Amino acid sequence: MAITILAPAPAEPIYREVDPSEDSDNGGADLEGDHEMRPTKRAKHSTFSIVTPGEVVTDDAQWMRGHGTYIQPGSTEIIATVAGTIQKTNKLLSVRPLRARYTPEIGDLVVGRIMEVQSKRWRVDVGAPNLADLPLAAINLPGGILRKRTETDELEIRTFFSEGDLLVAEVQSLRQDGSASLHTRSLKYGKLRNGVFMSVTGTGGGGGVVRARRQVWTIDTMHGGGKVDVILGVNGYIWISKHIEVAGGETAITRMEESISATVYSSQNEYIGPETRTEISRIKGVITLLVEQGFRVDEDMVMKGYEAAVTVDDEDLGETNVYLGGAKGKKVVDLLSEK
Amino acid sequence: MPLDTSTYSLALLRLDGRRWNELRRLTAQISTQVAADGSSYLEMGNTKVMCTVAGPSEAKGAGGVRLGNDRADIRVSISIAGFSGVDRKKSGRNDKRLMEMQHTIASAFAQNLFTKLYPHSTISLSIHVLSQDGSLLAACINACTIALIDAGVPMHDYICACTAGSTSSYSSNDETADPLLDLNTMEEQELPFLTVATMGESDSVSVLIMETKVQVGRLEGMLAVGVDGCKQVRAILDGVARARGTKMLEGSRM
Amino acid sequence: MPREVEPSVNERQFFEKALAENLRLDGRAFDQFRDLELSFGDEFGVADVRLGKTRIHTNISAEVTTPYPDKPFDGLFTITTELSPMTSPHYETSRPSDPEILLSRILEKNLRRSQALDTESLCLIAGHKVWSVRADVHILSHDGNLIDASCISVLAALQHFRKPDTSSEGENVTVYTLEERDPVPLSLLHFPYCVTFSFYPSTVEEGETVILLDSTLLEEQLREGSATIGINKDGELCQIAKLGGISVDAVAFLGCVQVALARVKEISTFVIKRLAEDAKKRDKGDLMAELRAENDR
Repeated sequence: MAITILAPAPAEPIYREVDPSEDSDNGGADLEGDHEMRPTKRAKHSTFSIVTPGEVVTDDAQWMRGHGTYIQPGSTEIIATVAGTIQKTNKLLSVRPLRARYTPEIGDLVVGRIMEVQSKRWRVDVGAPNLADLPLAAINLPGGILRKRTETDELEIRTFFSEGDLLVAEVQSLRQDGSASLHTRSLKYGKLRNGVFMSVTGTGGGGGVVRARRQVWTIDTMHGGGKVDVILGVNGYIWISKHIEVAGGETAITRMEESISATVYSSQNEYIGPETRTEISRIKGVITLLVEQGFRVDEDMVMKGYEAAVTVDDEDLGETNVYLGGAKGKKVVDLLSEK
Repeated sequence: MPLDTSTYSLALLRLDGRRWNELRRLTAQISTQVAADGSSYLEMGNTKVMCTVAGPSEAKGAGGVRLGNDRADIRVSISIAGFSGVDRKKSGRNDKRLMEMQHTIASAFAQNLFTKLYPHSTISLSIHVLSQDGSLLAACINACTIALIDAGVPMHDYICACTAGSTSSYSSNDETADPLLDLNTMEEQELPFLTVATMGESDSVSVLIMETKVQVGRLEGMLAVGVDGCKQVRAILDGVARARGTKMLEGSRM
Repeated sequence: MPREVEPSVNERQFFEKALAENLRLDGRAFDQFRDLELSFGDEFGVADVRLGKTRIHTNISAEVTTPYPDKPFDGLFTITTELSPMTSPHYETSRPSDPEILLSRILEKNLRRSQALDTESLCLIAGHKVWSVRADVHILSHDGNLIDASCISVLAALQHFRKPDTSSEGENVTVYTLEERDPVPLSLLHFPYCVTFSFYPSTVEEGETVILLDSTLLEEQLREGSATIGINKDGELCQIAKLGGISVDAVAFLGCVQVALARVKEISTFVIKRLAEDAKKRDKGDLMAELRAENDR
């Protein structure tokens, strides 16, 4: 085409210059406090080199293409399909999206919610593109791990997990379309009670919960709150609850049948005192703050954040206030950044 | 008359002071709704559009046995606010024009997104129109592109859209008639125009809709101007996405 | 509600391989139309179009009614399309499906918005009485390319239709029956026919998208994009509808427009020829038959 089009002169400079005040004028659209990019420790990546969809990353034939890229047939150009950072590991070139939905991997510890009950399995929402499966054969049946699964179990399937229940499980395998199959064959997995649920972004593209060695641990809380369990699901679903002592403590594997009692699948909450509830709220606030500020969410950071929050709270005389927005939150962040 | 031909030929300026090849001011914000998987807010002149993306998530409806379930299904719903036009008008859900727009956007993105990576799932795009001043479909498409990039859904390239029109009406075969870029409401009501969406920087046309009469000889000029306008739109949208990415990376800490 | 039967994997692969070898399943060239047949009914305004196995029947009717308050000088023109279970079991009469909505939108844009029928000529008494012309399109058999065939049938029926003659004195309008006065044809300003193109991904690396004209039902189910161009024989584009789908190079698209123009000219001459034949048949029946002394033997 022999037509030359002049670029619209005003458009781009106005956008760039007036950017900070522009956002506040466009009322309602909140750009502050978003999830920010969180690189994991494992992957090597080049910071600050963003690629956007349709951009050619490289046309060197030596690279193999990984997630987030595609190659047009008949050419060696690797083109990005998401907006993110380039990751090079050995000869593999992939693009890590800035934000994406959680994709399950084998071995992930996830917190999920039961969405459907079918004849021999449950379908669990784990924040992935597809619902995950939890087969009846993959849970611990009360009465012992070696108990045979009977038809009665199938008929009474709702006595174990019903719609809306929360559970912590591990991804056992992946099916061909990428959906996960879960299992709860361990004492540390199973139905969740006595606590509060929160949802942040998972390890989809960065930000939020990262995969670490320990995703579940107990905090000895201050102010008489007692022990609080924290479960960080890799999919970004988090559960904070009051720690309930299992009678008898540690059991050997031969004695597992006895410890899996009927109360494992009970939906009844225990009594939780106000101090414990306060501390649970405080931990929840800490995690929210970590996510807003772009820190990674793992045991280490949550503990530091919790200690900082308690310190900041103690400085203020008077009533304990767990709210971490505004000035208090800033102080916590400062303390965290120092460490 | 929105485009008084007598004054236009004097200074070659349209009623809002633009020349024939100038886009209106296009601003976009990405990730406006934190709770959504992806979201955006886009303004083309006075046309203001918001878009949110939910998904890919579990397919709604009859679970496994669905048409084409080896790829993700894309659903689009557009809701036009009653206060968006000059007169307050509540547009019904079954409006055929809206359904055509929804079908167009879904069909365009079904080709652009890598739907085969998410079988048995649904990607829902929800568009809200806050203010209409021409180029409605183009603004919706652009807002969807940005929102999908925010959601991290892999795609082949940006789909960028804009409108292009022609100064004289269809009957006059005026060879010197200028093609116009990015029309507002008044110009759309009076002049023939088309909405075109292209894939990124290339010349390949994804969406092309024209509902007014025009001489076939003028189509080439309008299409050329439209395609080039889309390239400019892509540059602006790309800048928005990059700025956001840089901000996220800068803000991230150990 | 039964679902539409999708082409099997085998059919799809067979079709794609044939395209790669520049073959179409029924042996036509890529830009060749199927045989078009057009016949008219005994009454005025009834047209029957056959395009291959696709068959469309259109009925035009007119009645006197009040105009819209904001358009006192314009008559009414409505087009209704019906995709019934007769066409295919998966269509429901009550719920308009996506293809039906798109079909009616395209027909509306092409024929109503472009003012093919001059609505001002339908006005009898401004603000009080106008003609309301109604086109009922019945899809009898669906073997692809409904849009092109429907458009031909509606325009042919409109050209065939005769509305009753009227005379108006002051506020009163007298509508003459067919016996009293010969009915008059409608005032059609131009004839925008539609041509639909189907797009398929190129089979060669870095190749152009494959473009087919007049697709059968199987080809329609397997296509990845389509565009409908409404144009009249004088080169006026009335509408273009490429509603998403696979992207096509802009230059190639302009080529399609030229192909559409050539095709529309052919269709125009064909329809006019058929109308003339029908008129001759009628004439021989009415006037001359009365005057002839010859008997049919």
